[in-house]
Amino acid sequence: MSQLGILSRQAARSTTANVNQRLWRRMLPYLLVLPTFAFIFTFTLFPTLNAIVQSTIQPGNARIPSRYVGLQNYADLFNPSSIIGGDFLRILGNTALYIGVTVPISIVLAFGLALLLNRKLQALGFFRFAFFYPVLMPMIGAGSIFAFIFADQIGLANTVLRSLGGVGIKWVGDANWTLVSIMLVAVWKQTGFFMIMYLAGLQNLPQDVYEAADLDGATIWQKIRFITLPLLQGTTLFVLTTGIASAFQLVDQLYALGEGQPNQRSNLLLYFVFQKYNEPRNLGYVNAITVVILAFLLIFTVVNFVVWERRTYYEN
Amino acid sequence: MRTHHAAPRRALNTFGTLLLFAAALFWLIPLIWTVLVAFRPENEPIVTGNIFFGSRLTLENFEQVAMVTDWRAHYITTIIFVVGVLLVQLVTITLAAYAFARLKFWGKNLIFGLILIQLMIPAAVLIVPNFATISFLNLFDTRWALMLPYMGSAFGTFLMRQAFKQIPLELEDAARIDGCGWFGVLRHVYLPPSVPSLVAFGLVSVSTRWNEFLWPFIITQSNENRTLTVGLSRVLRTSEVGALYGQITAGVLIVILPLMILFMLFQRQFINSFVRSGLK
Repeated sequence: MSQLGILSRQAARSTTANVNQRLWRRMLPYLLVLPTFAFIFTFTLFPTLNAIVQSTIQPGNARIPSRYVGLQNYADLFNPSSIIGGDFLRILGNTALYIGVTVPISIVLAFGLALLLNRKLQALGFFRFAFFYPVLMPMIGAGSIFAFIFADQIGLANTVLRSLGGVGIKWVGDANWTLVSIMLVAVWKQTGFFMIMYLAGLQNLPQDVYEAADLDGATIWQKIRFITLPLLQGTTLFVLTTGIASAFQLVDQLYALGEGQPNQRSNLLLYFVFQKYNEPRNLGYVNAITVVILAFLLIFTVVNFVVWERRTYYEN
Repeated sequence: MRTHHAAPRRALNTFGTLLLFAAALFWLIPLIWTVLVAFRPENEPIVTGNIFFGSRLTLENFEQVAMVTDWRAHYITTIIFVVGVLLVQLVTITLAAYAFARLKFWGKNLIFGLILIQLMIPAAVLIVPNFATISFLNLFDTRWALMLPYMGSAFGTFLMRQAFKQIPLELEDAARIDGCGWFGVLRHVYLPPSVPSLVAFGLVSVSTRWNEFLWPFIITQSNENRTLTVGLSRVLRTSEVGALYGQITAGVLIVILPLMILFMLFQRQFINSFVRSGLK
């Protein structure tokens, strides 16, 4: 009897041990994922939802309470005659212009430089440093240097222009030139990153295709046009999305170069948010602009994904 | 046929190298210019004296800019920020990546998908709601506020998951038979061959954090919690009246020097890391 009791007690102990172990094994994946998920939930997912909710609210003040206004904030943004709409639409246009100019130019330059670098070269290290160091510079530092290069009287750009017999340009301060100078900084900053991506792509290309093309007597341009570019489509798509995404995040350079002035003529989306984030009365608008930026990013990511999927589908 | 083509091809090659060299010099102008201006007397026109050294070489700009803000505090904060974030990231991404690469659990794809959303939403865009969260947590103007938003990384999790998936399952099984628990397996089977991925992630993380500006700028107030980039922005604003470019360029050099030296020493590793970060 007593022996049986000991046995059943042992059995009971081992089943609890088993249950505990099984529970532990089932919980383990969640525990492993929890820290990452918790951080991302708190600082990416929740704030995204928060911005969406806040964007439907018109902030009140001491006398009027905040109230739900539906999509009114968005309607104001896209209405040129509202208090915010004029500025917002102009800045949206600036952002589009900025993307339309800087991204294609950077891509063409990067591709050209990568082609030139993808040969037997001496001093490869020097060239890589020269084109890639801007990537590792803080934007605010790059902006500061260029603020000086574009300075009216003593800046390098105007010194060179004047010594060539031209007249100096008021780079920062003249509405038309401020955006140009910001675009120049962007091209200088991102081309090196695009270039190393293309270079990596070029180095992975199959050589036999080129040998076959050589046998057929293809010219260099034909090879680039009909072999290299199509094979590097994936890289192009990647640098394109990176360029567009970073355009929506640009703040630091504007802080150093003109601050979007005069009259918002050189301003870009996120810097506009940055200028207004601590004005309580604009909170609804600021959140609505945040959501607009998020929507653009989402659209570009989805388009990228769809194009990518279709491309691999055709390839297979 | 080949000899017929050789001469123009060589000419084209030389032309290409010259073009490359010209472009490289053009790209280097801002850096060279910065160094030149930082070591010559303040606001001396470029035409005065020797083109490279001006009328004389001087450290005055560095002495002046040292008084504008507390660089020592900025350096300490930046290092704590960069290293602190990296250490936490390395732990969180490794744990999560192991679960996503090798464990089966309910809701795995959903959770992974939610985490990947971070890839397309850069932290900078969410400054407004994150500012609200940090204020709510009563963490405004603390080093925690600087670091918290960067501690979970979808990109790192994804990168490590890819690395772990390459490791043959048989190795894990063998280690299990030898009595390893999940931690032993992770430590002895998965981590050693994944070190290159960790290094790649680390270099990208360190260089982006070092250069971060917007978030540190809005979430801190006191000098001891501000990073180098924010210190630099202060130089930019205080000298605005007279535009003291000698001080600004000296400040830029103070901020970029560590990263530039590291880049010169480990050029290949840096570039490979960035390439790898692009091949998500």
